[in-house]
Amino acid sequence: MAYDKPIPTPSALTQPFWDGAREGKLMLPRCTNCNRVHWYPRHLCPFCHHDVIEWFEASGQGRLHTYAVQHRAFGGWAKEVPFVTCYIDLNEGDRMMGVLRGVDGKKPESIKIGSLCQIEFDQANEDVHIPFWRVVEEASS
Amino acid sequence: MSFSRSAAIVGAAEANEIGYPEEPVTALQLHMESIKNVSEQTGIPISDIDGIFSVNMTSEIAEHLGLHPKYIETTAVGGCSFEIHVHHAMAAIHAGIIDIALVTHGENGWSQRKIPGGARYPRNETSPAVQMSMPYGLFGAPSNYAHSMVAHNHRFGTTPEDFAHIAVVTREWATLNPRAVMHSKDTHEFGGPITIEDVQKAPMITWPLTMLHCCLQTDHGGSVIVARPEIARSLRTKPVWVAGAGENMSHSNMLEMGDFTQTSAYLSAQTAYEMAGMGPNDIELALVYDSFTLTAGITMEMLGLAPRGEGYKLWRDGHAAPGGRLPINTNGGGLSFNHSGMYGMQLLIEGYRQLSGTAEDGINGIKGKQTDARTAIVNGTGGTLSTTGTLILEAD
Repeated sequence: MAYDKPIPTPSALTQPFWDGAREGKLMLPRCTNCNRVHWYPRHLCPFCHHDVIEWFEASGQGRLHTYAVQHRAFGGWAKEVPFVTCYIDLNEGDRMMGVLRGVDGKKPESIKIGSLCQIEFDQANEDVHIPFWRVVEEASS
Repeated sequence: MSFSRSAAIVGAAEANEIGYPEEPVTALQLHMESIKNVSEQTGIPISDIDGIFSVNMTSEIAEHLGLHPKYIETTAVGGCSFEIHVHHAMAAIHAGIIDIALVTHGENGWSQRKIPGGARYPRNETSPAVQMSMPYGLFGAPSNYAHSMVAHNHRFGTTPEDFAHIAVVTREWATLNPRAVMHSKDTHEFGGPITIEDVQKAPMITWPLTMLHCCLQTDHGGSVIVARPEIARSLRTKPVWVAGAGENMSHSNMLEMGDFTQTSAYLSAQTAYEMAGMGPNDIELALVYDSFTLTAGITMEMLGLAPRGEGYKLWRDGHAAPGGRLPINTNGGGLSFNHSGMYGMQLLIEGYRQLSGTAEDGINGIKGKQTDARTAIVNGTGGTLSTTGTLILEAD
């Protein structure tokens, strides 16, 4: 079935991320001056304002920082409710948002902040693969 | 050099009909009615306005009025923009650039659904932050803010029921305000008093936020006039002094919100307290942004009026309620009075009315809710808990 949810349009600034996604890799930007990882992609490092940024392949893992359960949605997402949106603290630093899989949106209290999550990608069209997250190891409560 | 009290709010008025008008109205009409009303209230002719402050149609408003203002400002950072406009208006007055500033708001959060071409907020899809969040089915403020409630619950051991007290007490204030959408069964089929159970059993929007944890979406127009002291003292209305003002931001996109349990209000408040020469103990009334119960709860923590993690207790323990030691959101709030999308003007108008003693008998007078407070803190929050503007107002 064709991908029926919103598909972003890559731009020059974000293209290395989408190129990686197409190969199932999480590519992250890192400042060549202060070595800190940042997300989302920037023209200048948000920490030291250096302008030479490199991309590297990250582990694709992180910890669940916080989440919510969406009960109202539109378009392709409408049939998925209740689905869980999440913020993930990446192993390499900084944070991504996404949709969390492997959890039950009908039992929101059962979801554990701090759980280890792994990135995975869904093909949306020829150029764009969208990242999603999946709980691989639940945090102890 | 501090410019504390170098300008006053000298009048505050709303559009003729706010809330859910039967016939759809435009933002421009809401602006114009409130501008006419504040001019009549203060006796200041519209032609005397020499500075204009609004969010997204400032030049169109000035043109509509035939004004040639010497100061034109369009800071648009969400609901707190109007608190920030007052800050900037006072700076412009203090600098000697202008004498009389109009801060104006017109927003048809309700009617726009019925007017072709009325939709707002186009999405900039070249923005890297938008690219990285738009795939995930988020829609509107609740879908974002809920993440913050979950983080607060996790960190401080609070619960959604704790925050439900905010909705219940705010509704109690709305029952005293006939212009509140949720005043009574006469104003809305779901109006009148509510219980914790009502809040928690309301339809789920984004867990853990039910519909009654979320603000209304209504029409509103409002205007305030800010003037230099000599003018403020010459009018038939009472001045309310701007003792302190501050603004700050922590992020624009929620993706960059470092700590989901705090906002930049603690910084904007610090600036405002310092300018005013006051602290939390001097505050007798709090008017804080309640886009969600969560927003108001966290904001009271940020303003130093409650310990971290315990903002909700001000409502739970009755302090915020009518007759309490620190009344909060005496108009009935964005939760139960009126919330058009950017709620900062409603806060300013209530602040002026309470401190000028006209909350009972002013234009569009409201009986039974005058607090007799002499000082108020007014805090707006814009974006996704992003930007904040804080004012400390003082009665004459």
